[in-house]
Amino acid sequence: MGIFDVMGPVMIGPSSSHTAGAARLGYMARLIYGKPIKKVQITLYNSFAETYHGHGTDLAVVGGLLGLPVDSPQLRNALTIAEAQGIRYTFVWKQDLAQHPNTVKFLFYDVDNEGGSESSGSSNGSGNESGHAFPAPPFSITGNSIGGGNVRIVEINGHRVDYSGYHDVLMITYQDLPGMIGFIGDTLGTRNINIAYMSLARDAVEASAMAFLKLDAPCPPECAAKLRANPNVFSVITINKLGDGV
Amino acid sequence: MKARRIRVNGFTDIPRLMPRLNIATLPDFFILYESLNKSIPSNEIIAKMERVLTALEESVADALSQPNKTESGMIAGGASLLQQYSAAGGSLLGSAFSQVICNAMAVAEHNACMGRIVAAPTAGSCGVLPGALLTVAKLHKIPRERVLRSLFVAGGIGEIISIRASLSGSTHGCQAENGSASAMSAAAIAALFVDDLSTIESAAAFGLKNLLGLTCDPVGGLVELPCVKRNVVAAVNAVACAEMALAGIKTVIPLDEVIDAMAAIGNSIPSTLRETSQGGLAVTETAQRITAAMRGKQ
Repeated sequence: MGIFDVMGPVMIGPSSSHTAGAARLGYMARLIYGKPIKKVQITLYNSFAETYHGHGTDLAVVGGLLGLPVDSPQLRNALTIAEAQGIRYTFVWKQDLAQHPNTVKFLFYDVDNEGGSESSGSSNGSGNESGHAFPAPPFSITGNSIGGGNVRIVEINGHRVDYSGYHDVLMITYQDLPGMIGFIGDTLGTRNINIAYMSLARDAVEASAMAFLKLDAPCPPECAAKLRANPNVFSVITINKLGDGV
Repeated sequence: MKARRIRVNGFTDIPRLMPRLNIATLPDFFILYESLNKSIPSNEIIAKMERVLTALEESVADALSQPNKTESGMIAGGASLLQQYSAAGGSLLGSAFSQVICNAMAVAEHNACMGRIVAAPTAGSCGVLPGALLTVAKLHKIPRERVLRSLFVAGGIGEIISIRASLSGSTHGCQAENGSASAMSAAAIAALFVDDLSTIESAAAFGLKNLLGLTCDPVGGLVELPCVKRNVVAAVNAVACAEMALAGIKTVIPLDEVIDAMAAIGNSIPSTLRETSQGGLAVTETAQRITAAMRGKQ
């Protein structure tokens, strides 16, 4: 741990796992989604579903989605603020023993795309081929609150990940072709950005793959643009590591 | 010795390491410990703790500013009643003792009501340190800088407990939360007055020893009952233990062994009494009624 893991976090009560952790998961989901939130379905699992009311878990999760840090007194008014900002949220409660006791799943819906034919944004994992008549699938993120306010994002758009906010992150989905890893490594390497950790996952159905990278420095917009410009790259998401108080 | 990182397995490592690192006091040891291990300059470490101290002070002020009540009805403005009772001359042992009780309760109640607190070491035990340490420091007009340094002692004792055992109620029961908070606070209070390591160690050891065996059986899974009043007991215990240590009473069992005993006891506490709300107070007839009413509001 560390001295400040013991002497903190400074947070809105009552529970580090059910309130602060929940807020942090919402905050991280907001960063990962990376677009203005219009409509989101929030599923609370297991212990989160059983005791969310008394712990303010619902307020904390929505507050995090609004970008509020874990010590913001505004967390208490998160639902009202979200409504005022026109964010449509719905809650679902589930028991699923396969999930961690404190799990939340977010499904972000691109409202413009509901039943329509517009393309989703470039950061949406559904791809960049526009013109299809089906609504884009929701952007999905799952996270666990693992104790003491610490959290872990475990799933993004069906891909398993392990992200706790301590690194700068780069997530890329791309056509599963030889040489793509080399391209990603070169693009970062020429900008002197070191890769601390990297995992790959392949989607057999869509022939797409996802690379999840933890970096020793943030991936700047120019670098992300360079990656995005590759015709075999579908989406690029960058997340900067969380600072103090989040 | 120019160290790159500092590793400790227990409190006993510290007196051995201090001369090698050319360090004289426990606060300086933990400032260097955090600075080296996290690669952050020590002035930033101190600035960060300054923000923690301010947040602790604010948590007391916010908590006392209004009666704290929760929807479950289990928290019903207890600290406000204590304030009124004390102001009306009801205080049993004088205003300082009443302030320890009242401030610890107020912050713990504030936490239950979505107030802003410092989880030191946990949200469920957040009233102990501000209730005990800040009240004693204020009464004795301890300079703020010395109070700030004592927070590194509190954090350091918590760090050692987390290394040898755990600070989590779901792992080792309430003894790991309020017991640890009490040990941290007792050590920090002792460090307001002395630098002597054995005095500080004794204060921490007493604090934890006195609360060994406490289970975590919160009603409805909420951080309300028995948590809030446990904060009061842990704060009072911290002051008593610091005073015993400052009087020269030495712990017979070293702190590290007390922590190991806490872990062993924690491991033998059944899971029904470790934050699952499946045993103890949480399954009493009244608790079940309150729990059902809260579920109904969901």
